[in-house]
Amino acid sequence: MKLITRRWAVLGATAILAASITAGGVIAAQLTTFENPDRLAKAIEKDPLVLAADIPAAGGAARHSVLVQETSTGHICLWDVPSATPGLKQGGCNSADDPLAGRPLSVSFSYDGGPAMATVRDARLIGLTTANVATVEVVMNDGTRRPMRLEQARVGGAEYFAFGYRFKAGDLRRGIGPVAVVAFDDSGVEIDRQTTGFTG
Amino acid sequence: MKRLAVVAVLLLVSLMVVSSAVAAIYAGPRQWYAGQTASTAFSPSWIRNAFSTSGSGFDKTVTFIDNVSYSWHNTVRNTSSWTETYAPYSPFRVITDKGHCKANVGYFWGSCSIY
Repeated sequence: MKLITRRWAVLGATAILAASITAGGVIAAQLTTFENPDRLAKAIEKDPLVLAADIPAAGGAARHSVLVQETSTGHICLWDVPSATPGLKQGGCNSADDPLAGRPLSVSFSYDGGPAMATVRDARLIGLTTANVATVEVVMNDGTRRPMRLEQARVGGAEYFAFGYRFKAGDLRRGIGPVAVVAFDDSGVEIDRQTTGFTG
Repeated sequence: MKRLAVVAVLLLVSLMVVSSAVAAIYAGPRQWYAGQTASTAFSPSWIRNAFSTSGSGFDKTVTFIDNVSYSWHNTVRNTSSWTETYAPYSPFRVITDKGHCKANVGYFWGSCSIY
C-alpha cells in the first residue's frame, strides 16, 4: 500500500513537472510569435536615438522632439519625447523590414486628458512617410486642414520624411480636433488616409 | 522519494518565477476584439505601459488612469506593432495610476505589459 502511494506521488510530481514545462513552452512560443516584450523593452531603453523633427514649445507646453530609434532587435521606433527628458518615450515600433506597416504613412497620436475630446490637453501627432509623399495634412472635425512640415530622415538606409505637430490649445478647448491624417503624392493625389479615432 | 518531491516542487516554483519575470504582462497574449480593454492595479511604481501585437496595422491605445479624477494621462494611440507610453511622474504627486490598454479594432493577437 505504501509502495503504491509512493508510485502515485512520483507519477503525480512527474505529471506536474511535465505540465509546467509544456505550459512554459506554450507561453514562450506565444511570446516569440510576435514582439518579445521583455527583449524589445530593454532595447528601447538602451539603443541610440536620432533626432528627426521638432515640436516647438507653445502655450506653456514644453518643447518636444521626434526621435527615430533602430533597435538591436530589428525594429524601427518613432518616439515623441519631451526634449529635456528624451527617456520619456511615447510612440511605437514596427519591424525594420516593414517600418510603415506596408503603407506610405505611419502616425502616432499622443495627448494628456480625455478620453473625451473636450478634456484633452497638449495633443501631439508624430509621423513617418515614404519618400514619395509630397505633403501631409491633418483633417479637423470642423473641416479645416493643418499642413504638416516634413523633415528628411534617413532610417535603416532608406529615405523617409518625419513630422511632428502640436494641436492648438484653443482648437481643443472649442472641441476642434483631428479626425484623419492624409498623405498626398507630388501630383496632389491622396495616397493614404488614417483616422485618429476622434469624432468631436 | 522525498528528494524527488522537493526537486519537483523547486522546479515548478522556479518555472513559475521565470515565467512571470519574462515581462509583467497584465493582459494576454490573447485575441482582442474592438473596444476590449484591460487594466493593472493602481500603483505609484509603474514606469512604462506597452501593447504589443502580432504584426502591425491594428489601432490600439495605451494610457495611465489616475485614482482621483480617473483622467487619462500620457495617452498614445497608433497602429504600430509595439505601442508604448510612460507613467506620469512628479515628486509632489500623491495620486497613483493604473496602466490601461484598449483595442480600437478587432481581431488581433496581442498582449499588454507594464514595467
